[in-house]
Amino acid sequence: MTGFITRRLLQSLIVVLLVTVIVFILLHLLPGGPARAQLGPRATPTAIASFNHQMGYDRPVPVQYWNWLTQLATGNLGFSTQFNQSVISLIAERLPKTLVLTILSIILALAVAIPLGILQAVRRNNLADYVITFWAFVFYATPSFFLGVVLIVVFSVYLPILPAEAPQSASIQVILSQPGGLILPVATLALLTIAQFSRYMRSSVIENLAEDYVRTARAKGAGERTVLIHHVLRNSLIPIATLLGLSLPTIFSGALITEAVFNFPGMGQLFWTAAQTQDYPIMLGITVLIGVVTVIGSLLADLAYAVLDPRVRFA
Amino acid sequence: MTPVVTVVDLHTDIALSKGTVRPVSGVSFTVNKGESLGIVGESGCGKTMTALSIMRLLPPGGRIVGGSIALADVDLVAMDEAGMRRIRGDRVGMIFQDPMTSLNPCMTIGDQVSETVLLHREVTREHARERAAEVLDLVGLPHAKERMNSYPHLLSGGMRQRVVIAMALACDPELLIADEPTTALDATIQKQILELIDDLRTRLDMAVILVTHDLGVIAGHTDRVAVMYAGKIMETSPTPELFANPRHPYTEALFRARPENAGSDRKLYAIPGLPPDLSDPPRGCRFAARCAYATEECRAQEPELTGDNHAFACFHPLGINQQAAPNPPTPLATAQAAAPLLEVRNLVREFPVTSNGVLQRKIGAISAVADVSFTVGAEETFGLVGESGCGKSTISRLLVAADTPTSGSITFDGIEITGKSNRELRKYRGDFQLMFQDPYASLDPRMRVGSILREPLVIQHRGSAVDQENAVVRLLDEVGLPRTALRQYPHEFSGGQRQRIGLARALALRPKLIVADEPVSALDVSVQAQILNLMRDLQREHRLTYVFISHDLSVVRYVATTIGVMYLGKLVEIGPAEQVYTAPVHPYTRGLIDTIPLADPQRERRKSKAGVRGELPSAMNPPSGCRFRTRCPRASDKCAVEEPLMLPFSVQGHRAACHHPLRSPIPLSTSAHTAPPRP
Repeated sequence: MTGFITRRLLQSLIVVLLVTVIVFILLHLLPGGPARAQLGPRATPTAIASFNHQMGYDRPVPVQYWNWLTQLATGNLGFSTQFNQSVISLIAERLPKTLVLTILSIILALAVAIPLGILQAVRRNNLADYVITFWAFVFYATPSFFLGVVLIVVFSVYLPILPAEAPQSASIQVILSQPGGLILPVATLALLTIAQFSRYMRSSVIENLAEDYVRTARAKGAGERTVLIHHVLRNSLIPIATLLGLSLPTIFSGALITEAVFNFPGMGQLFWTAAQTQDYPIMLGITVLIGVVTVIGSLLADLAYAVLDPRVRFA
Repeated sequence: MTPVVTVVDLHTDIALSKGTVRPVSGVSFTVNKGESLGIVGESGCGKTMTALSIMRLLPPGGRIVGGSIALADVDLVAMDEAGMRRIRGDRVGMIFQDPMTSLNPCMTIGDQVSETVLLHREVTREHARERAAEVLDLVGLPHAKERMNSYPHLLSGGMRQRVVIAMALACDPELLIADEPTTALDATIQKQILELIDDLRTRLDMAVILVTHDLGVIAGHTDRVAVMYAGKIMETSPTPELFANPRHPYTEALFRARPENAGSDRKLYAIPGLPPDLSDPPRGCRFAARCAYATEECRAQEPELTGDNHAFACFHPLGINQQAAPNPPTPLATAQAAAPLLEVRNLVREFPVTSNGVLQRKIGAISAVADVSFTVGAEETFGLVGESGCGKSTISRLLVAADTPTSGSITFDGIEITGKSNRELRKYRGDFQLMFQDPYASLDPRMRVGSILREPLVIQHRGSAVDQENAVVRLLDEVGLPRTALRQYPHEFSGGQRQRIGLARALALRPKLIVADEPVSALDVSVQAQILNLMRDLQREHRLTYVFISHDLSVVRYVATTIGVMYLGKLVEIGPAEQVYTAPVHPYTRGLIDTIPLADPQRERRKSKAGVRGELPSAMNPPSGCRFRTRCPRASDKCAVEEPLMLPFSVQGHRAACHHPLRSPIPLSTSAHTAPPRP
């Protein structure tokens, strides 16, 4: 097992490095450049040249990459001139808020989607299954900006019971102290995730219910509840574990669009701002973070497999 | 005699979207305490549905629509679901066909066995586990106590089936239902499991219902037999009586389809056609359409099951002792000294095993094929037998160059094929083709039969599009499939028909050699006979050479001119088929022959109880010296130290590698002078 993890981490390191190379090249292929984006359309060529020189953007791209990489090795993700803050402190400020949002929505989604999927599988092709399937497809097909806006219209405009916007504070305590502001963004994300997870859970349970070991359990005299909870549930959760591992990057990167709709000051919004102003250090910093989290997420998914399924042993 | 279960006029329906299937229509039988009833018949004739009706575990849409099932004094048909749950696992235990899938992969075997106890007895978890350990010990799981926390995947198929049996027995049921309990297992393990069930039946005084398609299994392990066809019992009698004197033509047909009962022309009797569609069963006798003795009366009216002890449902029963006596196996002409088509020399295939470290160093090897040599003459059939895991399938892949040997050589038609690149091999590939075991998994479900058969021709650029289409039509004619099959998909065919498609695909390039890996293992005995006959006809017509791989020695003996017996990667015995079968030299071959269930209760009971004990050791660290020594009744110290050499036992090329053979070898010099050396 340790051998497996070590090997996987070494592979991951290479993957992350490759990701940074690709992102670096893509960023420098963008037209306009950070100077134009940050200094404004009226900036003089001299101002732009001096900005570029000051930031080191006038040097060859491989040299810039090397400098950035050596900085990264010392733990420095760079400095954002427009925020006048280091990228690390920007991320440190935004990440907890995003985590609150995404983790809450995932927990809510799991808590609803797993029982829902089981219910659908047990009552498959009955009215309940059709109704849930219908709504799952509706939410699955709804873009988050539309769903978010509909929720705002219903719950903030017509029945003004919930705020349309998240608290605009830099501090996490403030956000937690006004949980009302979290309800709509969490609900938006959770509804979309439930739609996805419940489909997986449904098909996974249906598949397992048809397995021979379920018939064996019934032949022992086990009732439906025992069959579902003792036998089918654990086997059915295996694919969900993969799904969770693979959604780890989303948990960290935040929901770009949902955060924008609710003006939620999280990672997604930070990336959105950085992209508009071509703020290289922020975009690179977030990309590296997401890259790391992505490979860790898939590693965790594989490890969860080994925990849930005794047949899987890594060598 | 106290009846444990009495089934009277049972009717079971399964409602499907396309209509209602009636797999059980009017089945009656009684099983007494300590007695064993065998239910036998082809697949799809309602055996399993009868068993599941007793458990009331029918598939979705299934329903008992008539009749009664009495378990001692309780009516199981009228019982509510909660009551049934109390009976399942407590008073009736059930064993299923495939031990690989019938255990929960995520639960330890100890938990799975104690679950039965916890469901039915008011005991603590510890007591349930104690009972589980006790039952696991009873069913012969070695080191049962230490194995309680093992997960099923760590156990072999035979051991898993023991766990399934332990679950069924944990609460001392009155009735044990075994649905094809050994079909998925090797013959050596099958014998062990059947003997275990027999032994438990006597010790626990249970009633047993044994459902199987194999008359051989029925013969040795049941007191009574019920022969089922198309949802009805066709014939039922005490076991010895049925085998001595079958009265129903269907029973007779099942006997005659067995390879050991091949006719003097070595053609097998194949029951024509297929069992009827049970959503719309024919009027009259359901077997009439396939029966050689059927008359107008049979097609118009349904015969009743009549008779007391030996009952049968037929207007034209076979007279007493009228049925064709099984032909004594015709001695085959000893393998002609044909020019060798295939020469295998010192073939070795090892699969590396790597360490768990960062660098994954090679720490060992699984020795799948270890120094195997043999020759196959042109137009000969070479049969390769052995238990699963002995390296048969690895050899099949090596022979068709789908895998590369670690060392050794394979010469095909004078050309060395080992060490050639894929590009070089391409022009030879048409000469050797593979036929697969599983007719369901080996055909692409999204390709029409026409494209499946044409694909090899397209890949090898054989002829124009028109030529190819004509060739495909010719292939269909040859394997006896209608031309309409061209436009159909594999799932529209039965298992036997699919295996015909598989054979046609192997034939498409007009190969010289077909390597058939367990081609009939997944088929019913009647269909097996059809495929074996077809393979024989095609062999004569196209001068084919077969390498026929099977775990079933009785089938191999029927098809093969030469038999090679493999054990754990080694060839232990080889020779002309009849010599190997009737006068084996190696204790392993002897053991394998003893494990074949004979469709003859007297011979089955007389037969040596020896068989092959235990299970195949790991090929990762095979035993030193002779690899069979750990399971061999004749093993001595010498066997552990010295690897036995292949020695000749007849001038016809019967050879075996054993230090303590069942008879002495012939002197080396004689053989060298009188016969061409056959490897």
